[in-house]
Amino acid sequence: MPDWRGYIRQHMPPLRVGPARESEIVAELALQLEQAYGDALAAGASEAEAQQRARFQIRDWENLAREINTAERQSGPRFLAGLAHDLRYSARLLARSPGFAAIAVLTLAFGIGGNTAIFSMVDAIALRSLPYPHPDRLMAIETRRVEQPEIEPWTSPSDFFDLRERSRAFSTIAGIDPIWSLILTGRGEAEQLQCLFVSADFFPMLGLKASLGRTFAPGEDRAHAPSYVVMLSHSFWQRRFGGSPGIIGQTLVMDGSPYTVIGVMPAGFHYEGEPLAGTASDIDVYCPLAANVLTGSAARGLRCLKAIGRLAPGVTAEQASDEVRRIGLALAQQYPDSNRGFAMDAQPLRAQVAGRFRLTMLLLLGAVGFVLLMACANVANLLLARAVARHREVSVRAALGASRLRLVRQLLTEGLFMAAIGGLGGLAVAYLGLKCLVAAAPPSLLQGRVIRLDARALLFATATVLGCALLAGLPPASRTVRDDIGNALREAGRGLTAGHHLLRSALVVMQVTVALVLLIGAGLLIRSFQRVLSVDPGFQAHNLVTIWTQVPRAVQTSEQRTAIYRRIHDELMSVPGVRSVAAVSRLPLMGINLGSALFIEGQSTPGVPGPDVEYRRATPEYFTTMGIALRSGRFFNDHDAPNASTVALINEALARKFFPGGNPVGKRIKLGGDLDKRQWITILGVVGDVRHFGLDIAPRPEVYTAYAANPLFSPILVIRTDSDPSALAATLAAKVRSISPEMPAYDVFTMQALVDRSTTQRRFVMSLLTGFALAALLLAGVGIYGTMSQSVAQRTREIGLRMALGSSPAAALGLVVRHGVRLMALGIALGTLAATGLTQLMSKLLFEVRPLDPLAFAGAALALAAFSLSACYIPARRATRVDPLEALRQE
Amino acid sequence: MILLALLEGRPRHGYELAKMIESQSDSRLQFHVASLYPMLYRLERKRLVEGKWVEKAGERRKRYYRLTPGGRRALVIHRRTWREFVSVLNSLTGFGHA
Repeated sequence: MPDWRGYIRQHMPPLRVGPARESEIVAELALQLEQAYGDALAAGASEAEAQQRARFQIRDWENLAREINTAERQSGPRFLAGLAHDLRYSARLLARSPGFAAIAVLTLAFGIGGNTAIFSMVDAIALRSLPYPHPDRLMAIETRRVEQPEIEPWTSPSDFFDLRERSRAFSTIAGIDPIWSLILTGRGEAEQLQCLFVSADFFPMLGLKASLGRTFAPGEDRAHAPSYVVMLSHSFWQRRFGGSPGIIGQTLVMDGSPYTVIGVMPAGFHYEGEPLAGTASDIDVYCPLAANVLTGSAARGLRCLKAIGRLAPGVTAEQASDEVRRIGLALAQQYPDSNRGFAMDAQPLRAQVAGRFRLTMLLLLGAVGFVLLMACANVANLLLARAVARHREVSVRAALGASRLRLVRQLLTEGLFMAAIGGLGGLAVAYLGLKCLVAAAPPSLLQGRVIRLDARALLFATATVLGCALLAGLPPASRTVRDDIGNALREAGRGLTAGHHLLRSALVVMQVTVALVLLIGAGLLIRSFQRVLSVDPGFQAHNLVTIWTQVPRAVQTSEQRTAIYRRIHDELMSVPGVRSVAAVSRLPLMGINLGSALFIEGQSTPGVPGPDVEYRRATPEYFTTMGIALRSGRFFNDHDAPNASTVALINEALARKFFPGGNPVGKRIKLGGDLDKRQWITILGVVGDVRHFGLDIAPRPEVYTAYAANPLFSPILVIRTDSDPSALAATLAAKVRSISPEMPAYDVFTMQALVDRSTTQRRFVMSLLTGFALAALLLAGVGIYGTMSQSVAQRTREIGLRMALGSSPAAALGLVVRHGVRLMALGIALGTLAATGLTQLMSKLLFEVRPLDPLAFAGAALALAAFSLSACYIPARRATRVDPLEALRQE
Repeated sequence: MILLALLEGRPRHGYELAKMIESQSDSRLQFHVASLYPMLYRLERKRLVEGKWVEKAGERRKRYYRLTPGGRRALVIHRRTWREFVSVLNSLTGFGHA
């Protein structure tokens, strides 16, 4: 008797099972051979023949081992085993049709990647809680003019100190000055530093500790007795002092005053509330609030602080707001001259920070979500098309006893498998997309936030993948559930069932609907952007350079400042190519403005605070240099100098609002709160409106006072050149610095760059939404094309029969196109309805365009219709080439 | 389904099953070792059959397979759907009316 066990061990490739199980299998197989051998002998075969027959039982050892290994691997819970099988099956299916797989996976990758990238940005800007301990306990306290709530709220130092004293709802309240430019001198070239003056409570309130040294002690921030101490930002410390710890205790001369360095802020610290919210400013140094000249001012009408508070334990945000409102009312009664018409309130700091971008961010997230929905619809459509092609297979499997649940699971697994691969690709897309987003986004939007793919983004991507798997896998799976087996077998040969077709058509209608909504949204933003670009800013931006400077500390008197400005003027005029030079206190479109109360002779009531108007101080040449038009009266001239404090120009908006129908030239006004001490100012002329706040913000009433009345310590120079000024900018800045080593020249911009910068955010949002809309258009086109192609393939027999009966190719073309047009028309009707509602939500983002703008609606519908028709045309053409004989033969 | 049906009456070992398939189908259906044993192992993993080494007097130790309650249920379902499938097939191909 041969040793069959030895024979098997000798031939069988190693099995991937435990040793005990392996010897069991070997024993069982040996028994099989042994019985075959015995039977052969019994049947009269010779020894050699019997051995031959037994050996013949197993010929393909490799295959046997593989089959046993596969069978043995199906261990563990049955569901998981089935899942592994489904996954393998899905992978094989995808590998078998690489074209289909590539389209589906790429569609999903771009959809998931785009969503993850946008989510990361939106999350960092508008969703994530503030990076401070118990951020929901931080409140922003604001003072607003009741009649002009659109004016940025600032609180006066006097009100701030009173509030801090009277409030019980907050454990601490901190004040913050506007961003302040200080000039660092005595350490090489003078440098302009961005400074924030903050209360000593500011850092502990935000849970911040110095990374080196310490933060301010309460004693260093005592009103009227401040200590001149300074904390450095981490980046400034690194940049200017090479990160040397020896800086602590050293003195920095800023604006001529010596400040002792006491600490360095932690790396990456960036205060997210106002006055920094919405700006791209990087703060270099922090000083105690009391050290700022404005804070010490007794004038209650001077509003120059932002205030934040941390809620006391057990106090709710509503209770705190109530208390702040009550204190505001009490202050208005106590100090009517300065506080009447102003109201105080408090809102969560997070609302202040995220509020300004929330709508934009949600719009982008919504739009990209819609694109993903369309991508899923396309993949579902592809899966449906394939489910149709696999109908026979599915039917046979169902007939052979595969449960519905099992089949549904297989289809869902296919969706999941594709979504997972799409998700992996999506991460790569998200990584690259986020890089592009961060590079393209305006700094005022990002505000130095670190935006990257983090755990939250990955979680979002995973959720998106699961969502996609369901969205893409459910439609084909649901069909399978509803199909009954007999029906399926009957239909197997034909392919498409009416149900499938209805579902696919519904998906196409949904895609057209969504694409239209996105196209209309993008159209509205594009139209708004065009309107913004066509706005006349009120000045001629080309060939203009602006340079910020500051006169040296030693230059104190008005005459000295006039003299040094004259020197600057003459030096700059000596540069070839310079046509004119002027100075002003605030530039248009810089986002920095100053308000003052206006009192009009014969109109205003004494004791009632006048309306807020903007004011600027400008040299006589400012208007001609900027190209600002004169509407009536005259500009300033050098002869006004002796009476400079008694003359002013106003803009058209002020003339319209306060002198409607009359001629304001020669009328008298006063500016500021303390009317008795103010001089009357005569209006010399009316100048054209300038868009100081933004191209999309209507000009506010403005007063220009004469530069000579109080020459500026920090004049902003405006220089008009003969040609493109970018080449001259550096020379001009050097010219300013050459006047005194203590005079900096910073923020050197061409005016055109400022105009462009003012529209970057609008441009950014518009470009993104347009990109999404185009992606949606493409996806809708692909969806229509796919469905129409499938429909033509399915109706080949019908079309062939019609043609055999005498129908023309044109009629076949019409048959298919009509079907496409029906779906498209339904989608466009639904999309128009949806857009009518949805565009109302974005009305705040529009400029001089109504949410129901007919041009945007009609343009989007036309573009979509044209694109959809082209997508229909190719399959329709195919229908015209159907060979009637060939089609009939298929029957 | 075939294996489950053959095990319905009583437990059998692998060689016996192969022989039965061959003889009862007049040699038209043959299960090779490379298909039979992996299939039995798979059914065992799915807990539809249970394999046990049995030593009978005068015989070598053999591994007998018997149907589990789960296997019995599965067989009922398989038979029903197969019957349905065949009847649909018959009606489609015209055998049913022959």
